[in-house]
Amino acid sequence: MTNKRIPFILVCSLLLVPLSAFIHLSTGEITVSLSDFFSAFFDFNADNSTHILIREFKFPRIFMAILAGGGLALSGMLLQTLFNNPLAGPYVLGINSGASLIVALTLMSGFEFFGTDIGLIGSALIGAFLAGIIMMAVAHRIRSQISLLLVGLMFGSFTSALVSILESISGAESLKAFTLWSMGSLQQVEFSQLPLIGFVFICGVILSFFLIKPLNMLVIGERSAGLLGLKISQVRFLIMGITSLLAGLITAYCGPIAFVGLAVPNLTRILLRTQNHRWLILGNLFFGAIFLLLCDSIIQLFSKQIALPINAFTSIIGAPFVVFILMRKLK
Amino acid sequence: MIRFEQIEIGYSKPLILIPSLTLDAGKVYALVGRNGIGKSTFLNSIIGQIPLLSGNLFLNEQAVQNILKIELPKVIAYVESRFDGVEYLSVFDYLAFGRSPYTNNFGSLSSDDIQVIQEVVKDLNIAHLLEKCTSEISDGERQLCAVARALIQTTPIILLDEPTAFLDYLNRQKLVQLLVLIAEKQHKTIILSSHDIDICIENSLEFLIVSEKKILKTKVSDKQIVIKEMEKD
Repeated sequence: MTNKRIPFILVCSLLLVPLSAFIHLSTGEITVSLSDFFSAFFDFNADNSTHILIREFKFPRIFMAILAGGGLALSGMLLQTLFNNPLAGPYVLGINSGASLIVALTLMSGFEFFGTDIGLIGSALIGAFLAGIIMMAVAHRIRSQISLLLVGLMFGSFTSALVSILESISGAESLKAFTLWSMGSLQQVEFSQLPLIGFVFICGVILSFFLIKPLNMLVIGERSAGLLGLKISQVRFLIMGITSLLAGLITAYCGPIAFVGLAVPNLTRILLRTQNHRWLILGNLFFGAIFLLLCDSIIQLFSKQIALPINAFTSIIGAPFVVFILMRKLK
Repeated sequence: MIRFEQIEIGYSKPLILIPSLTLDAGKVYALVGRNGIGKSTFLNSIIGQIPLLSGNLFLNEQAVQNILKIELPKVIAYVESRFDGVEYLSVFDYLAFGRSPYTNNFGSLSSDDIQVIQEVVKDLNIAHLLEKCTSEISDGERQLCAVARALIQTTPIILLDEPTAFLDYLNRQKLVQLLVLIAEKQHKTIILSSHDIDICIENSLEFLIVSEKKILKTKVSDKQIVIKEMEKD
């Protein structure tokens, strides 16, 4: 029963990731050759300004594009399977907004701790998880796929209103810190932070591979899966945990990025034509990374004329695609 | 085999009382009754979705409270009244879910699992559907696949909630005949709830007639007797 088509597409898309990274590398304001790129790592010279540029700017940006793209797509897929709703995603369900709110609260509280990496990841993660719990409770009461979406959007508006209130009453220093964060960018991370971010990301990915069987079963609905012996509440908690980990981490470092988590999982299913999450997890990681790398490449191309925030650009591509899915699904 | 002893079924107030009832292996029972009388509650109580209010329930001579929750899918398989299919979910992958109570944490199928699936596929003659998508086959084919999935679970007991509701006459006949054959051949206890009394009589199923607060087990050949019993208050 093995299908050769799916592994073939996956291998192709895996190969497209470094290719997209190369495109990203060559679209920047300062073009960098591939040999410079490698020598910056294997033959680093602290006096070479190109090397420093690559290590401090180019590489972290590519690294974060791959992580954010893959991570958001993966957490979107987890949410869509959990809620059995192709329109779910970390952004529309208010997972990002929850993270934003708690980050705003902690940053503006003025405690030194929350300015650190661990403090930032921690508060984003808690915020994401709380929002997830709220959405899970809501989803339990409403069955309609569209209504859940509306509640998610309302939740998003509500939290952003709270954030605005916080902004208006906070001091200049903390306001600056938060505003910078909330603009959303792939360029806010330093080289030294990458190991920690990479580690948390890898943890999330590995954990989701342990959920392949429950995820596959959830496709036929919670009730049927439960009657086949799936421990629903445990699985729900785990999926929500991993989603918050990934979406929280990415929101903490890149700010809110819309539509990747909603559009890419649908695109992956359409391309792979399967519901087996063994393949879907890999597909989402690869397609998500490619998508965000290419989006960011285009932003770089126009960076001399206008500074486009990444969030705006993913929405420009993602929103029409979601409308397309809506029209296909809910005829 | 299913045995009921002094059982009260319902949510907070008892809806059905069953002093004593034994359902044998090798037979198909037709669960009939008016809408809202408690057929679904009855089925849901057996599969443990609704806790029993009191009494003892034995599944294959094993008291239900002694069966671990994780072991229950190896004893009872349940077929919902309607499976709409899922986009991109192949029939084979759907059938393979029937093995999930037996597979490891990653859900990988052993050669034994594959063999079980292949045997059922052969018995039900659905090999041509395997590669197809569950959302693209007909209602009748889908219902057949749902039954196949339950058989692949290799349980001594199978419950079906109105399996014929969305099928045409020929497919109904085919399905009920198939269930009778399976029950006899594989010595399974099968209960199906239905509003289709004619087909149940034609296939001489034994009836479980639910009326106000009780269940009557009876063999009938006259539709009027069933209707009279259903009307009792």
